[in-house]
Amino acid sequence: MIPPSDRGVSRRSFLKGSAVAGIATTGLTAAAHAAAPAPATFGPGEHEIALSINGKERKVKVETRTTLLDALRDGLDLTGAKKVCDRGACGGCTVLLDGTPITACMTLAMDATGHEVRTVESLSDGDTMHPLVQNFAHCDAMQCGFCTPGMVMSSLACLERRGKPTEDQMRHDLSGNICRCGTYGRVMEAITRTAAGGGK
Amino acid sequence: MSSAPRTPPEGVEITVGYKALPGQGQDRFEKRTVTPAEGDVKPWDATTQFQTVGSDLDRVDGLAKASGRAKYSYDMTFPGLLQAMILRSKVARGTLTALDLDEARAMPGIAAVIALKEVGNKVRFVGDAIAAVAGTTLHAVRDAIEKIRAEYQAEEHNVDYVVADKAPLLSATGEIEDDWPEHQEIAVALAEAKTTHSATYRVEVQTHSSLETHGGVAKWTGNDLEVWLSTQATFGCRGELARALQGKQIDVGSVTIHAEFVGGGFGSKFVAGIEGLAVSLLSHAAKAPVKLMLDRFEEHTTTGNRPGALMQARAGVDADGKIVAWDWRSFGHCGFNGSGGSVAVPNYYTGDAKVRRDHKELVADTDPARPMRAPGHPQGWFGAELFLDELAAKAGIDPLAFRLRNDREQIRQDQWRFAAQRFGWAEARARQNAPGDRYRFGVGLSSARWGNLGNAGRPPHGITCRIHQDGTVETRSGAQEPGVGTKTVLTILTAEELGIEPRFVKATVGHTGDPSGPASGGSTVTPSLAPAARHAAFLARQQLVELVAKHLGVPVADVVCKGGKVGTEKAGLPWAEACKLIGPNPIDVRGQRFANYDGKPFFGSQCGVQMAEVKVDTWTGLVQVTRMFGIQDCGLVIAKKLAESQVLGAMIQGVSYALHEQRIMDKRSGRMLNGDFLRYKVTGIQDLPKLECHMHSIANGHDSVGAAGLGEPPSVASAAAIANAVFHALDAPVRHLPITPDKVHKALASRKG
Repeated sequence: MIPPSDRGVSRRSFLKGSAVAGIATTGLTAAAHAAAPAPATFGPGEHEIALSINGKERKVKVETRTTLLDALRDGLDLTGAKKVCDRGACGGCTVLLDGTPITACMTLAMDATGHEVRTVESLSDGDTMHPLVQNFAHCDAMQCGFCTPGMVMSSLACLERRGKPTEDQMRHDLSGNICRCGTYGRVMEAITRTAAGGGK
Repeated sequence: MSSAPRTPPEGVEITVGYKALPGQGQDRFEKRTVTPAEGDVKPWDATTQFQTVGSDLDRVDGLAKASGRAKYSYDMTFPGLLQAMILRSKVARGTLTALDLDEARAMPGIAAVIALKEVGNKVRFVGDAIAAVAGTTLHAVRDAIEKIRAEYQAEEHNVDYVVADKAPLLSATGEIEDDWPEHQEIAVALAEAKTTHSATYRVEVQTHSSLETHGGVAKWTGNDLEVWLSTQATFGCRGELARALQGKQIDVGSVTIHAEFVGGGFGSKFVAGIEGLAVSLLSHAAKAPVKLMLDRFEEHTTTGNRPGALMQARAGVDADGKIVAWDWRSFGHCGFNGSGGSVAVPNYYTGDAKVRRDHKELVADTDPARPMRAPGHPQGWFGAELFLDELAAKAGIDPLAFRLRNDREQIRQDQWRFAAQRFGWAEARARQNAPGDRYRFGVGLSSARWGNLGNAGRPPHGITCRIHQDGTVETRSGAQEPGVGTKTVLTILTAEELGIEPRFVKATVGHTGDPSGPASGGSTVTPSLAPAARHAAFLARQQLVELVAKHLGVPVADVVCKGGKVGTEKAGLPWAEACKLIGPNPIDVRGQRFANYDGKPFFGSQCGVQMAEVKVDTWTGLVQVTRMFGIQDCGLVIAKKLAESQVLGAMIQGVSYALHEQRIMDKRSGRMLNGDFLRYKVTGIQDLPKLECHMHSIANGHDSVGAAGLGEPPSVASAAAIANAVFHALDAPVRHLPITPDKVHKALASRKG
């Protein structure tokens, strides 16, 4: 890294100032924010918080400045959500917060308390895979696969919201997800196949 | 599938070539006699009937990737894992005059701080590595890195190659103005040509933008080092780290690289680099496992790029539309090391013409270039193919007719005609844009070529094949797989050779404890490993056949592996039953990659053709690619769905290169201004054209399988085809990639003027 003094205002220094004061920063809808518990004063240093992830309560130690993405990956070893840009620009870390797709890198872990977080890990259980996951494999909607879990979560949100999405709706709903290998067409095939009830 | 128990030592007659493309003329088959090496298998050829090869098998690790279970280097963790970051230079050129690490070392949670440069060392670009820190969390590391005091004696820098030493003079409109060096024959040919043309082309720097950044996790056990590294060259990085760590009492045998899943590389990940060395040193110093993954800005600015280039061509055609003279020069945008900027151009259009090609490397104070998918080719093909369209237009010839007249390759002659029919070239080309229309449509085309049929023989790549008592088969290579589908390819080849369903086979790649394989570069992995995988399965099969023959009391020569059974025509054991004869230790063999056969293959490289249609909004200047078609030869198609994915993906990357991507540098600070994914635009789903590809399977007869790779071949043509479509739409060329709205407006203005 190049130290922030050379970068102007960084997210870190911005959060440092704002999180203590309990100001909501990024990622959450107004409604989600309203439902959050009243802010207590935290920091500096780590605090244990409880997050509801894939239907289970998980305890994790975070700082006020820790993102939901780092809490998932480094705190809970849930590495399906990828850290790609860490600036909300690529969708690689997409998870669902109360059913809405968000970038976990732009959401503070503490702001996710009191909400239901769904990660890609919720879509498989042993050998049982969600049809969407099966169709990603069947349609070869991936190459290196690094964007894929984020694509899957955005696709899931698209399906849950739209039922049978049109091509324009899919393009809209996935426009925040970058795939460097260029698999977009087959991602839409996987969604379409899932919407049509096609398993593997 | 062949069931010959033993390779004939003498020549084997095979059929090479390809079946006529749908709706196109005749088959192009030829007979060849090839001589397999002693012990190698009998070659597959154009007449082989396959069970699994060429099928639509799903990517074997597709579920692991889509479910988030696949563990990339970035995802690895161990108890006590530390996080790490690198402090980067903020000056583009100068000397490090002070480096104080003490305050950083004293920060809470910090386990190791190391210098990567010493006071007095040169600093070569913004982002040059200065020091590295490991600590309990990224927060702790970031806090500590801010406490490092690094001071520099800055020198004047230049990050713009266009004004570098030895750069050519440019006119106000960007044309190279330097005189062409004298060349008598070309001068004469140009003077005699019926039509001549001259123009300058330019491309900007593109970053690889792999989604998994460079870096890894290092873990020492005594003097043994394991690194989970995001790399496309496991064995190269192993040697590199062993050499760099000589002071730590280790040799190459003490280093293991793991790269089972790699989140893209595209040519940028051939070296462990400073991040690989730093994570190893930090882990050694901290006596704990350490993770160091670059952030996105570092990925854009310190891990290489596809270099920019200035290119100029002048050429002439005779009355028949044949090219008679071709003069080309290019200038590559290198980083501080002054290499890697080269540009390639097609050589199959200029048969009897007088030809000259010249290239110069220009140095700038930036991160050096690295190979990127078909290094030099998308740049040069853009310049050359757009130039050809301009020349054809001047000569009054349709671009397709012009290619057919000048392209010397039979394969591509067939592909041009096939693509034109599938794409609807003639109708699309005839479509007229009315002068007042807001939207203008156009179509363009480009050829592609990449030459590689596998690096055989040296080093002697291998594959391990094990057949277990429970019927499962392992096929293992130490080579990595950055997303192309090597595991699926190895699975298919092994299943084919053993006559079993692919579900019995588990392929593993990316651990240097397994047999060596090539770096993922130059489209060499599949052609290099495919024959070794086949040979390994063949050797394992031989052992199983012997066990079954003994069990059945029949001659070994009568036993075949076919359709999931092992045995004779009359008495066969199902695969799982046959494998029970193996005993507790598996059949464990190593297949090898024999050299390619002596003599000429059917064709020594890969041919392709792409066509694109664009819709240009003349109000906003935005270009939209509406559809593309590509036909791509890749030797024997092994895993059809995956092969298509690679071609389609390359076309999308071509859209990105043609329309969106460019590194923008701040000349004053020497820093990249758009080193993120907000301002560095990579083509997204909204920009996705309708894409179609046709895999053109060709038997080249160069080894027992006849495979070719697909990393580079489909990456060559896309941007050029799009640029030609824009030329068609606007009636004016945009000679500078990416084709952004400002350039479209300029082109429109030039046309009106």
